[in-house]
Amino acid sequence: MSLPLLTRTQNADARFILTPARRSLGVGGPKVRTLGPSVSARMPGRAPGAGEQYRFHFDMGRCIGCKSCVVACNEQNGNPAAINWRRVDEIEGGWYPNTSRAYLSMGCNHCINPTCLSGCPVDAYTKDAATGIVRHSADTCIGCQYCTWNCSYGVPQYNPERGVVGKCDMCHGRLELGQAPACVSACPEGAIAIEIVKTAEWREAVAATSSGHGLPLSDGSLSTTRVTMPMKLAPSARPVHLTNVRPAEPHWPLVVMTVLTQLSVGAFAAIWLLQMFGGSAHLGAAALTSFLVAGLALNASTLHLGRPIHAYRALKMWKRSWLSREVLLFTAFSGVAASYAAALWFALPGGVVLGGLTSLLGVGGITASACIYRVVSRPAWNTRYTLLQFNLTAAALGPLLAAAVSATSGERSVRWLALAAAAMAGAQLALIALRFFRLVAARSIELQGSARLLSTTLRSRFLARGALAIGGIVLPLLAQGAFLLWVALVVALAGEILGRYLFFVSVVPKHMAAPYLELGSEAA
Amino acid sequence: MSIRARLGLDTREERYAYGVDAIAGYISAQKIPDHWVATTCGYCSVGCGMFIGVKDGRAVSVRGNPDHPVNRGNLCPKGLSEHHTIDASNRARQPLLKRNGRFEPVSWDAGLATMAAAFRRVQAAHGPDAVGVISTGQLVTEEFYALGKLVQLGLGTRNLDGNTTLCMSTAVAGYKRSFGSDGPPGAYEDLERADVILLIGANIADNHPILCRRLQANPGTTLIVVDPRVTKTAMMADLHLPIRPRADLALINGLIHIVIDRGAVDYDYVDRHTVGFEALTASVREYTPTRVAEITGLETGLLYETAALYSTAKAAFIGWTMGVNHSTKGTETVNAINNLALITGNIGRAGASPFSITGQCNAMGTREAGFASSLPAYRKFESAEDREALAGIWNVPVERIPSARGLAYPDIIEAALERKVRALWIIATNPIVSFPNRGALTQALEALDFLVVQDGFHPTPTSEFADLVLPAAIWGEKEGTYTNSERRVSKVNRAVGPPGEARTDLDIFLGVASALGVRDELFPAWRTPADAFEEWKRVSAGRLCDYSGMTYEAIEAHGGIQWPFADGARDPAATRRLYTDGVFQTDDGRARLIPVSWEPFPEQPTGEFPLVLNTGRTVEHWHTRTKTANVPILERLSPHAWAEMNPHDARMLGLKPQNRVDIVSRRGRIRDVELRVTETVAPGQIFVPFHYAEANANQVTQSAFDPVSREPNYKQSAVRVERTQA
Repeated sequence: MSLPLLTRTQNADARFILTPARRSLGVGGPKVRTLGPSVSARMPGRAPGAGEQYRFHFDMGRCIGCKSCVVACNEQNGNPAAINWRRVDEIEGGWYPNTSRAYLSMGCNHCINPTCLSGCPVDAYTKDAATGIVRHSADTCIGCQYCTWNCSYGVPQYNPERGVVGKCDMCHGRLELGQAPACVSACPEGAIAIEIVKTAEWREAVAATSSGHGLPLSDGSLSTTRVTMPMKLAPSARPVHLTNVRPAEPHWPLVVMTVLTQLSVGAFAAIWLLQMFGGSAHLGAAALTSFLVAGLALNASTLHLGRPIHAYRALKMWKRSWLSREVLLFTAFSGVAASYAAALWFALPGGVVLGGLTSLLGVGGITASACIYRVVSRPAWNTRYTLLQFNLTAAALGPLLAAAVSATSGERSVRWLALAAAAMAGAQLALIALRFFRLVAARSIELQGSARLLSTTLRSRFLARGALAIGGIVLPLLAQGAFLLWVALVVALAGEILGRYLFFVSVVPKHMAAPYLELGSEAA
Repeated sequence: MSIRARLGLDTREERYAYGVDAIAGYISAQKIPDHWVATTCGYCSVGCGMFIGVKDGRAVSVRGNPDHPVNRGNLCPKGLSEHHTIDASNRARQPLLKRNGRFEPVSWDAGLATMAAAFRRVQAAHGPDAVGVISTGQLVTEEFYALGKLVQLGLGTRNLDGNTTLCMSTAVAGYKRSFGSDGPPGAYEDLERADVILLIGANIADNHPILCRRLQANPGTTLIVVDPRVTKTAMMADLHLPIRPRADLALINGLIHIVIDRGAVDYDYVDRHTVGFEALTASVREYTPTRVAEITGLETGLLYETAALYSTAKAAFIGWTMGVNHSTKGTETVNAINNLALITGNIGRAGASPFSITGQCNAMGTREAGFASSLPAYRKFESAEDREALAGIWNVPVERIPSARGLAYPDIIEAALERKVRALWIIATNPIVSFPNRGALTQALEALDFLVVQDGFHPTPTSEFADLVLPAAIWGEKEGTYTNSERRVSKVNRAVGPPGEARTDLDIFLGVASALGVRDELFPAWRTPADAFEEWKRVSAGRLCDYSGMTYEAIEAHGGIQWPFADGARDPAATRRLYTDGVFQTDDGRARLIPVSWEPFPEQPTGEFPLVLNTGRTVEHWHTRTKTANVPILERLSPHAWAEMNPHDARMLGLKPQNRVDIVSRRGRIRDVELRVTETVAPGQIFVPFHYAEANANQVTQSAFDPVSREPNYKQSAVRVERTQA
């Protein structure tokens, strides 16, 4: 099987011209080369020219899985043990005794179109013009962690101690001084090398490889890492961690933020519709309550940031980043919503226009929220169901809130709001079921993993979510009077919160080893 | 976390800053040292040269030494993070005496006086041999030499042995029987020069990863790996022989059978340099390919192929480690290996060697100097001439030199159980995790009148049992020499001082000598390791392990020197290998061909205990993890124990990956380990790493020992696997 990326190649025996010659450092000091072991054959010998960049070459056939690269990387960068900018994954296949196990050591793939960069709301990433290295600025970063979802290889990692993300920069500082990256010089088997790649040729090579051959090329990011596959790898080779799917981070501030913004948007839309068609006169209290919910949600969202004080920076990249757009739209939404609530409270004119604008911005904000989760590396999120689910949350909760507040403030004509909420909750339940069955039937290992999580580890929580969804349908139908409407709202809200929690924890990200599953099979 | 950090105003820039060091280059600023100290790695016996970076009296980084001939700048993950062991939170800092079940600080003087009094009291009541000493492979040779002299002549007990009996004593015994002396005959360079490499029970990719690069430097070689597990090393092999557990002896006898049968013997070598060929020929007659195929589970074709490759190679190398040594038939298996090498003339030449790859950083040092399985410098207890020579050097009456070795490690434990040994001094080893059949060991330690544990770490699972804990300096805190597997003596240097009141082991031994009142006699004017080294050079002069031509300066200048290196020697390369002239350390100078026979392993599986347990290591951890459990990155990479089981067995038992299981033998139970379902182990076998105190493999292993070397049969315990009950 010959693939352009997988041919077994020999490195040209080039010397890295920037490497300082062996020298003695002062009297009495140990005589050492600055680089430690000799790595000249694993360095490109020159700087990249126009249309070129540096990249990693990993020779899987040489790697013995000793993880020296991981330790050297952590020592190089002073990272705590839990953060590993370079990691080693295992792939195993075959039957005893014809068993093969290979190791994939990977840092950053320094993509041609880095998705970490394009999603970043604060422009913390740059693709170095001279070297092609994807660099990250800790100063600029606000710790939103959006890049950790966007990267298909799990490269950027959040450091809670710093409140910012960090990642492999190919030891940019070492390369600048003519020194080999820590992983390159630490590898006792010489399995990691730096090469120069012509980006246009690499694009073509990647394009010529069908997407079925998997990653690190499967998304539009165009990883530059070249992997030389081992001579023998069993066709059945699979990443060994696949049996060990664990729930992901719940991101509680985001659970609260997304559900409450959706609740608020749904409520404002309901209030607006009531105002237009219901002829209701007492909507001020409902609007004010909805506005307070939105305020709570937006404040909760800053708790998700590693550096909340710099939250405003998230507006910067609205032309490129859905996260920036979400922040922008919800900021505008809350501003207009405040005016709308004031107009209703004080019975000022122009309410209908403001209400329409509030609803429009709100739906825009929800759409931006959903688009944030449309990332290739998280298949369970990357579906149109996400947008539908977020909107149904708004549609199921919003009318209930409007109805409950209105009923409390003496409004009578709220029955149809409760019916609408019940109908939307029914749609949400149908969506949950549909989504789960799609996961179960999916071929992708990540989607299967999500299904497995929901039916094993998360089973009781998933069933509870279903029960609460049924409550969210039945209670509004039975609800007569303010108190019961509030009860229905609380049950429905609990259901949506639990549902959103499950949305976050049941996602199985594309792991960097996972793509090699298919590459491995092809190469065998 | 501070308010500023919570708000995002403090990203700890200083801690994550970078700087440029003249040696290390561009690197995390916190890792930039004031100066670098050259030394040798303190983990395994590969013996890599390295530098420790010291900043404000703390070891902050390490670097491989690119000029060191062993590793050329490379280090494994343990070496790359070794400085973290020095700052470990569980370092022993002050002498502790147990009073009413609680450890209380005590001064060195009072502690050592208590120890001396307790030992003398026991000896007065129960005889001099009622005190036992269990040493290690972790000290410097100077300390082993001092300890041997102190224990045998000062304390006056013969019951001194080391944890090397858990690991290398089989190779020692095998070498002695075949060649007349211990001492691995080859060199690492042989891995680059051999055209056939046969590794038996040696998973060097996990255990000696820096040796693997030697294989890469030899792309033309054929690598044959004999291992019941498909280890990382087996996967590197051109030919993997997935042998049944402990069928290695039958395999080698079978290979010898084929070699003789096909006339592929180097008769010239056999005639000139060996005795016993006829008896050997007769002994392997019954090891026909058919029978060996039955025993080993290997097809006869593989046997012929292996025999042909090995015997027709220009230079063939055999390397082995614990797969061979951890066996009741270990010594005989080593003899079989030596037989195969001898009859094909694969010894004493570049690339040709039967080579025991040692375990600990200085297991070799204690073999040379240790006074346990032999008198210092490979002198023989039973040789009157050797005893007199030693007495002459030391200027003591020859009667004070014992004429037979004392008890070996497992027999000291046995004697403690029988209350014959009443006091024990354990130095730099952790038997509660490393000794087989932990239940029996625990009883033995509890039966003691007095237990001293001298270690760099406290608490350890073993030091908890101590009456007296003596805090010791570790690697990076003291000076001396280590000998690696290829007999290369390398320098170890002090980069930082020991923590708290901890002392170097040499200082502790000198302190004990003072407390016993023997310091002036045994160690006159000794102050530093160099004093011990000078005397050791005199003791080793003229012996196989001759140090007399070495100086600390020369050792450092050459990146280590392989012994023998006699006074006046110039070229270290001249003694790269032993027995180049075919003259062995026997009386007649001829190597012995020793007939040996295969037997099934002692604890065969049964209906109740249907699985065969194999134990071993992982690259991230060292032995019982007293060191590596305190290196956060290594713990991160390998945080807990696991059990490997073939999918076939898992299906039969209804087990799934990541299930929590117990492993149960007749003797005990390893509780709550994660199941890993994998095709790297054969159906009917399971594998558990032995590093983890909390899931201790030795809770189920057996008390079965090699009759010659006394090494435990750690492997092949009959067990069953159960789901862990909550």
